[in-house]
Amino acid sequence: MKLYEALREEFTAPRGKFTPAYYRFLGMREHIRAPLPLLRAYGVAGLFSYAGTHIHKNDLIVGCLRGASYVGPQEVLEHANRFLASLGKREFWTNDSHFAPDYAYILTRGLPGLHEDIENSRAVHAADPDRLQTLEGMTVALQGFGRLIANYAAAAEGLFGLDDYDEDRLSFISKNCRALLCAAPSTFAEGLQLVWFCHTAFMLEERGAMALGRMDQYLYPLYAADIAAGRLTDEEAVELLCNTFTKIPTSDVVNICIGGTETDGSTSVNGLSRCILQAVRACNAPGPNLSARISKETPEDFLLACLESIGTGLGYPALMNDEVNIPALLRMGYEKEDVYNYCMVGCIENFLAGQQPAWSDGRFDVPRFIDYVLNGGISTYNNSVGITRTDADSISSMKDFMSLLEAELSVGAAEYCASFNAKNGGIRQDAFPSPFLSCFCRECVERGLDINNGGTKYPSAHGAVLMGVGTTADSLAAIEKVVFTDRAATLSELRDALAANFEGYEDLQKMLLAAPKYGNNDDFADKYAVWFLDFLAGEFDRFRTPDNGRFYIAMAANVQNIYAGRRIGATPDGRKAGEPLSDAASPTYGRDTRGATSTLLSVSKPDYTKVACGTVINQKFSPSMFEGDKLKKLAALVRTYFARGGQEIQMNATSREILLDAMDHPEKYPTLVVRVSGFSEYYVRLAREVQLDILSRTQHE
Amino acid sequence: MDANIANIQHFSVGDGDGIRATLFFKGCNLRCPWCHNPETLSAAPVTLNYPAGAQICGRRMTEDAIFAELTEDADFYRESGGGVTFSGGEVLLQAAAAAKLAARLKAAGISLFIDTAGYAPFSAVEALIPFADAWLWDYKTASPQKFRDTVGGDLSLVEENLQKLLSEGASVRIRIPLIPGFNTAEEDVSLICARLKEFGITKVDLLPFHRLGSGKYEALGLAYAYRETPPQTAEEKSRLRKLYENYFTVTMES
Ligand code: SF4
Repeated sequence: MKLYEALREEFTAPRGKFTPAYYRFLGMREHIRAPLPLLRAYGVAGLFSYAGTHIHKNDLIVGCLRGASYVGPQEVLEHANRFLASLGKREFWTNDSHFAPDYAYILTRGLPGLHEDIENSRAVHAADPDRLQTLEGMTVALQGFGRLIANYAAAAEGLFGLDDYDEDRLSFISKNCRALLCAAPSTFAEGLQLVWFCHTAFMLEERGAMALGRMDQYLYPLYAADIAAGRLTDEEAVELLCNTFTKIPTSDVVNICIGGTETDGSTSVNGLSRCILQAVRACNAPGPNLSARISKETPEDFLLACLESIGTGLGYPALMNDEVNIPALLRMGYEKEDVYNYCMVGCIENFLAGQQPAWSDGRFDVPRFIDYVLNGGISTYNNSVGITRTDADSISSMKDFMSLLEAELSVGAAEYCASFNAKNGGIRQDAFPSPFLSCFCRECVERGLDINNGGTKYPSAHGAVLMGVGTTADSLAAIEKVVFTDRAATLSELRDALAANFEGYEDLQKMLLAAPKYGNNDDFADKYAVWFLDFLAGEFDRFRTPDNGRFYIAMAANVQNIYAGRRIGATPDGRKAGEPLSDAASPTYGRDTRGATSTLLSVSKPDYTKVACGTVINQKFSPSMFEGDKLKKLAALVRTYFARGGQEIQMNATSREILLDAMDHPEKYPTLVVRVSGFSEYYVRLAREVQLDILSRTQHE
Repeated sequence: MDANIANIQHFSVGDGDGIRATLFFKGCNLRCPWCHNPETLSAAPVTLNYPAGAQICGRRMTEDAIFAELTEDADFYRESGGGVTFSGGEVLLQAAAAAKLAARLKAAGISLFIDTAGYAPFSAVEALIPFADAWLWDYKTASPQKFRDTVGGDLSLVEENLQKLLSEGASVRIRIPLIPGFNTAEEDVSLICARLKEFGITKVDLLPFHRLGSGKYEALGLAYAYRETPPQTAEEKSRLRKLYENYFTVTMES
């Protein structure tokens, strides 16, 4: 068994309840008379200093939550919880989680350097009491962080001589920890250990979806120096990375970004990018959410290695097109150097590490507005209202329909932004400082301002995640075809059919289903996806967040499309009430029937340089696509799609489980295709014994 | 010129180099009992009655419409080193229409492969020679008798065409379907190998048997002689591969 595999067993063993409030409370009690912002900083320091440590027997890099479980009298815990609750806290909507720290800054300065920077800033801002207090908070939090590292060093040393603990590993751990207390990291292992301590501290703070960002870039100098000096092999680097990634909880979404483009256009791919890819692949766990930034200059072997990793069934990395994301971010007014250094937080959201406050986003479902237009502004399936006051039958052309829809969406977008701004701007930013997080933004330290109080280089950005582009495009195409082109039904008939969920209107439903659908390279439907993105990008761009940041749009609602679909009535594309909406930026599942090239031709028609947040396109391929010669064809597919302006693609190999499931639930897999030379057929049309032939093939693969 | 088309399959990855689109011509003059595309055999449209609904296969398409659809994926062809494959059915039965399309594809710089059983007058082959970048030539048996009795044709015509095509310097890839009970006995294989050697062939593609087309037979209301024949085992495939490897460089579809 590999070290990281043994570690995984240790890591996933049951542990006690995580009790961060208790440790915060301890820290606050010591300074209970401090002003509120400082009191919070002492809470953070207490959390880092008093939360127990835990070193796994198979650890090389340390830091986890296992030791942070209070086991004394419950009254104490309840008291701590109550007190903490009374102070309130930030939420996702008020920029608390989903952040990528500026690890490049932390690694070059180290803990002592960071303290020094804060001291220098205090000297600069000596006349400004607010800034001084903010900086003092940072110092307090950072001192607590130092104690966390010292605690781990002491813990490792205390384990010497204990059964089952390997002394070489323990001294490796203690040496790395001690080194970090005195200076900036000087080896790859120290650098990785510092990054993981930071991440552990964020987990202690209960921040979710904290990204590790461009690990292959900020750790590269240390990695390269070690390799050049013969202190480190790639194999050892992978071992250390596996040891780290194994400690990412499976419930978290920790984005790691590899590859990318330098400002001169050359590729950023290096030896460490390949090590990280290999490590994530070996760990084969859902926690590390790997993204690869791809451009024309990306070396072919790297792209192929990414695809191979995807084909193992892991599905990672998601492939991001630099040639779209970079212009999209430049459009938002960020400086070139910062834009070229973008990474992602959460699943796919573009982010400038340490240069903007933590991310927030919300869902904006678009099909609901079609319902308003058809029903004089009154929703048929939830208690909401739009602005349309026109009777369906007095809408006499597609053009009129579209103007009404645009008017609805325009108001909807404004409502969305007003509501977000009220929530986000409704708190006193100075009362809820994030002193530890602020240390990870160079400008916060320099300016002496908290991350959410003007400290970051750029203001906050909020993502409006647009749902249902496929459902919307298909619906509009169906209305244009059936109502306004073929004149086979009136709008009021359509409205009634939707209200009846097509019961008694089966023929009309058939016609709607037969209308052109998004994803088949047919402009009749595809033009509505182009419009969807153009129009809504423009609407959201009219608004600013409370600190004067941008509203980005995203085409990335996975999973939520299922929940949203449950609440949404029948739609004009022939979809019945309760069925899922189309997922993310993809065409409606099962309706892009012409093969991957046509799907990607359609999907690359909208102008994604207007989608600053990010896009998700899900595509499934049979496992054989990820082998030998076909892997290269897949790489060509991706490159062509990206050259045409596609923003993102995440692929999956159709697993054995899916093939098995499709035998019993053919309706769920209408487009699962089996291909062999000169032949292709839908899987669900094959007789059972023939499906078994295919299953026995994939068993060998 | 119009053509009878069974289907255009985008993103074909099993029929030659790169990403291709396969144009399935409708109509075939042979009747291989193992055929996996039975819906392409008749020139006229046929209805497939699937449990989930009926589907018609076969339509008359204009040259322009076919050309437009085939060129949609041109960027993908270029990036992957792919192109278009003419298949069927039997493309040579509509050689005139095929040649017109082929000329336009050539002019557009799109690679063209021809997938054929080769059973047609040589003039049909000849019409396509200037435009084809490679020929995927189906070679099923070296026994004229078996060819006549099982497939329903005159093997000598196929072989003459092959001979002439080779002497024109065309790039020809021999593809041998491995059909249990038809051409997989050791003596069948030796005969095929000896014959192909005479033609100067050095490389062959082996296509293992599969019965994935059985659903189509059912939907067409036709009996399928190979319905109960399981695909070859890994051992059987490697036995056949080894036999062919005595004579040729072998590639085998997985
Ligand atoms: S030659 Fe090809 S299409 Fe014609 S019957 Fe034989 S296998 Fe089928």
